Amino acid sequence: MNLRIRGTLDRFFTAATGLSVVLLMLVLVAILGPMLYRGSNAVFFQGTVEFRKMQRDLFRRSDEATLNAEIAETEVFHRRISEMIDEFRKGVDIEAMSSQVRDIHRTFGQELRAKAVADDRYTELRNLTRDIRDSLEAAFAKQDIREIRPLLDGVLLHAENPAFQGTAAEKFFEIARSFLATAETVDLNHQQEYAAALRELQGILFHTQDLPGLLGPRPDEPQPLLVMLRYGATRWDQAQQLLDRFFWVEEWVEEKPGEPLVMRKEPRADLFPETLGPLFAYVQENADKMLKPKFTAYWQFFLDDNFNSHYFGGVGPEILGTLFITLVGMLFVIPFGIVSAAYLVECATDGQVIRIIRMCINTLAGVPSIVFGLFGLAFFVLFLFPLLGFEPKPCILAASMTLAVLTLPVMIRASEEAIRAVPRHYKEGALALGASRFHTFVTITLPAALPGILTGVILSLSRIAGETAPILFTGAVSMGDVPRSVFDPTRTLSYGSYDMAVGDRLAMMVPHNQYGMVVTLVALILILNTVAIVLRTRVYRKLRGQ
Amino acid sequence: MPQESDDMQTTADSIRKSNIRTTLAVSNKRTPAAAMTAEACECAVIRSKNFSLYYGSKAGVKNITMDIYPCSVTAIIGPSGCGKSTFLRSINRMNDLIPHVRTEGRLAVDGHDIYDKRTNLVNLRQQVGMVFQKPNPFPKSIFDNVAYGPNLQGVRRKDELQHIVEQSLRGAALWDEVKDDLKKSALALSGGQQQRLCIARALATRPRVLLMDEPCSALDPIATGRIEDLMGQLQSTYTIVIVTHNMQQAARVSERAAFFCLGELIEYDHTSKIFSNPGKKETEDYVTGRFG
Amino acid sequence: MSNAQISLTLEPAADTRRPMALTPGEDFRGYLASHLGRAVLFLMTFTSVLAVLLILLFVILRSFSFLSGYSLVEFLASRDWRPTAESPVFGSLAIIVGSLYVSFAALLFAVPLGVLAAVFLSDILSWKARNVVKPVVEILAAIPSVAYGFFAVLVLAPWMQKHLGLSTGTNALNASLILAIMALPTIISVAEDSISAIGRELREASYSCGATRMETMIKVIIPAAHSGIIAAVVLGMMRAIGETMVVWMASGNATQIPHPWWDVSQSIRTMTATIAGEMGEAPEDSEHRGALFAIGVLLLILTFSLNIVSEYFLSRAKKATGKT
Repeated sequence: MNLRIRGTLDRFFTAATGLSVVLLMLVLVAILGPMLYRGSNAVFFQGTVEFRKMQRDLFRRSDEATLNAEIAETEVFHRRISEMIDEFRKGVDIEAMSSQVRDIHRTFGQELRAKAVADDRYTELRNLTRDIRDSLEAAFAKQDIREIRPLLDGVLLHAENPAFQGTAAEKFFEIARSFLATAETVDLNHQQEYAAALRELQGILFHTQDLPGLLGPRPDEPQPLLVMLRYGATRWDQAQQLLDRFFWVEEWVEEKPGEPLVMRKEPRADLFPETLGPLFAYVQENADKMLKPKFTAYWQFFLDDNFNSHYFGGVGPEILGTLFITLVGMLFVIPFGIVSAAYLVECATDGQVIRIIRMCINTLAGVPSIVFGLFGLAFFVLFLFPLLGFEPKPCILAASMTLAVLTLPVMIRASEEAIRAVPRHYKEGALALGASRFHTFVTITLPAALPGILTGVILSLSRIAGETAPILFTGAVSMGDVPRSVFDPTRTLSYGSYDMAVGDRLAMMVPHNQYGMVVTLVALILILNTVAIVLRTRVYRKLRGQ
Repeated sequence: MPQESDDMQTTADSIRKSNIRTTLAVSNKRTPAAAMTAEACECAVIRSKNFSLYYGSKAGVKNITMDIYPCSVTAIIGPSGCGKSTFLRSINRMNDLIPHVRTEGRLAVDGHDIYDKRTNLVNLRQQVGMVFQKPNPFPKSIFDNVAYGPNLQGVRRKDELQHIVEQSLRGAALWDEVKDDLKKSALALSGGQQQRLCIARALATRPRVLLMDEPCSALDPIATGRIEDLMGQLQSTYTIVIVTHNMQQAARVSERAAFFCLGELIEYDHTSKIFSNPGKKETEDYVTGRFG
Repeated sequence: MSNAQISLTLEPAADTRRPMALTPGEDFRGYLASHLGRAVLFLMTFTSVLAVLLILLFVILRSFSFLSGYSLVEFLASRDWRPTAESPVFGSLAIIVGSLYVSFAALLFAVPLGVLAAVFLSDILSWKARNVVKPVVEILAAIPSVAYGFFAVLVLAPWMQKHLGLSTGTNALNASLILAIMALPTIISVAEDSISAIGRELREASYSCGATRMETMIKVIIPAAHSGIIAAVVLGMMRAIGETMVVWMASGNATQIPHPWWDVSQSIRTMTATIAGEMGEAPEDSEHRGALFAIGVLLLILTFSLNIVSEYFLSRAKKATGKT
């Protein structure tokens, strides 16, 4: 009995240990899996015609002929949609209509002046059009068809007036007629609501002041200044989200009092009178024809600069900056790391001094990374640079040197291990042939330890590339030009990842670019580490095999 | 400096007169011509007088006094841990690598006290080559292994190196086996071949003395036989000191033998004498297998 | 091959033989080269020592004006951190407590998991399977902290808000969970080293007395390896306290001590995050900047003392296994 309990407990214990490792693996998968998947969306996705247009305009890469054909095909839909909206807006957008009639009145006056009409005739016509304008505006303000009809009828009386033939004033009557038609079909009591809903709809279809929409700017609209507003949904997943918003309205409703709000979806078409029904049907029917989604492998993501804080484009400058900082850092770390390791293994005789050095290396490895940032700022940027006559500002050189100090322990430990792993008899063989210690080290020990040292180099590389905190104040920026020398600050993948993760609404709109940035960093580091792991297993297998 | 060599000379004389019998009787294994060569360079190449070596406070070897003669094979035998390897490694100062090593007494090669501060270690080690217990070719090609020593001496010309490599490999009886793939990695050779490669590598620096630290212990009998044959061929030119715990091997290859025990030199004499009629009780016990 | 051939070509000719004694010139050059070379190597090796000293010196130097002008008691004991107020207050108590709070909470998750995983790796898993699991641990250690922070903000925080019904996803729980994941590789590898360094003799002795694996582990091996495991925990703690990006992104950065103390769903702020977040806005040579450097000094003191503790336990573990 007792034995059985002990056996069961033992099995539980074994299961618990196994479970802990399984949990560890699950955590790794849970962190990396979705990240890698969503990050891959930055490169592989269904790109729309808008994407290809953007690529042509911003990066000068396209298949002109096909693209022009595609644009021509899609323009048709864009135009038709704009027309349908204008059609509807005529009836409901009072402000727009009012300003339109005021414009007509003004233009008409200018036309008369241009024709040099006699003064009294001019005054007469102007008064007439002013009356027309006022009645129209009065009609716009009314909501009851019974009140509107007499006003509009009064206006339309003048429609046959020869003085207006062939002038701007003709448009008065067009507007009056279309408004009459609308007033007869649409319930004008909801005019205000319709106008607001229409504005929102247009925001989704074209663009709002600061966010792009499904189709890009209206065909008749001048090109917006903000680059990202010039294009519609460049990706099919983005387009689908916008279409979802186009067809459905999300509402948070309180189903039962006191309980959390519940989200409910209502068809957006319900917000409008039936006259706008065809628009929804039309968009539904032609969605993919308007945007022409096509599988795209946007490998230039790793080369391109970005536009409008990463709304468009890639992470090219970030990769470049990361490599720049890493390489300059390695220039410092490699010689110091290898020499220190060599000294600790080969020349060390004085126990006390070596103990102190070792203690300092361990201490250095334990210093928090943010303190390295403080140190880099205080020592390199604010002390050393002015001393050497450089401008005391954060730059690549300062960041690299800070990171070099940070990774020095990694490099020393790995190299030391590698040099120690070289069998003693290699060294003895060379010394017995009369080689000096230096010569033995350079010709025998170093080549034999090289794969191990290389492992250390790769590990330091990945550490430098991934650190963020030490470069916060010593050389990383979130925006700026591609650095031209080591005295410029730079964007890096690590700082970019931070910036996009805690960034504004705009960054949240482009999760593929958010994840693309961090995945580029993670992939870079995972590749480096895998190489290091494989290299190390090989080396140890080889050394053990001998 | 001259004074010191005089000193060494008198020391040697006194040694010769005293406990160790060092008269050069013609060995039965050697031709008269070889014996004459030996007579001609009778003066000992390596002279040790009261030489002791300590690791920290522990003695590795104590008070070794012996002369080693040129153009012959001298075997050092003894139970393991008796300091025979330590003594051998002292001869070209390989023990320098071990921290906290300290020596006393005198150990001279060619009349120069090698533990003198002003010893040219490079020249010493080039004149006193060493072959280790475990074959230790460098992880380089066969050619580069052999050319390593000459390279250090400043030989850079390709044809000269080629010549030295060929002669050294021939000297180590390895040439015929590897001549076609000198560019191959030395680690691809068999154990016996690797050991002969190490001998060739040692020969390539043109040493006078060849120290061999149990060169056959890691090898199979056939490879061992080849190395022993090689030693027989090399002894006419080189002074060979071999450490072995294989007494048959010592009897087969050596002309003189030294028996070490617990860091001390117990007996040093002609091999035939050591194995047939040892002067000390411990030696007899060891060679007859009663101890060790 | 003949002997004659060898003798002809390889006889050590007198002219190739070099003097055993150094000439005075060689002696001098050799002396110079070896000592100069050694000096250069030593100086390069000494960089690590120099770096530690410079870090100490410069961080202290920059905080000096603040520390000398501000009441140390108020700096350490006040909970108010209002650096940009009309009359700024720099009380770092809540921040220090925040750092310790998330670190201990992280250890609460990481230590049991880490020790169990270490036991699994060292005693239960076969050699081959270990070669699969170890890289997983290494990759966990290699993922940059900003990627963990990214995960915390964009994945974990919304998930917590949605499924745990918390008012904010960036809180102490989020930060300490991620810190636990980050401290795990350190804890596992150090603990595993120390557990497998305990010789087979102890295990065999215990098994031969009829103990099960659990009893052997809990009663014999883990007590025997306790120094190493404590060192592992301390090193994990160092990793957690020194971590910046994750806590900055995931902890919510509210200067408060959680009340009640066990409520991990509240936002807190740590020392590292305070430095990272405010350094950019603190004007040069201002009191604010000095205060941030003073927090840096506190961090240094904290990690140095943890380092000493870990070194002590590591050397004890080494001694213990050296004897058995």
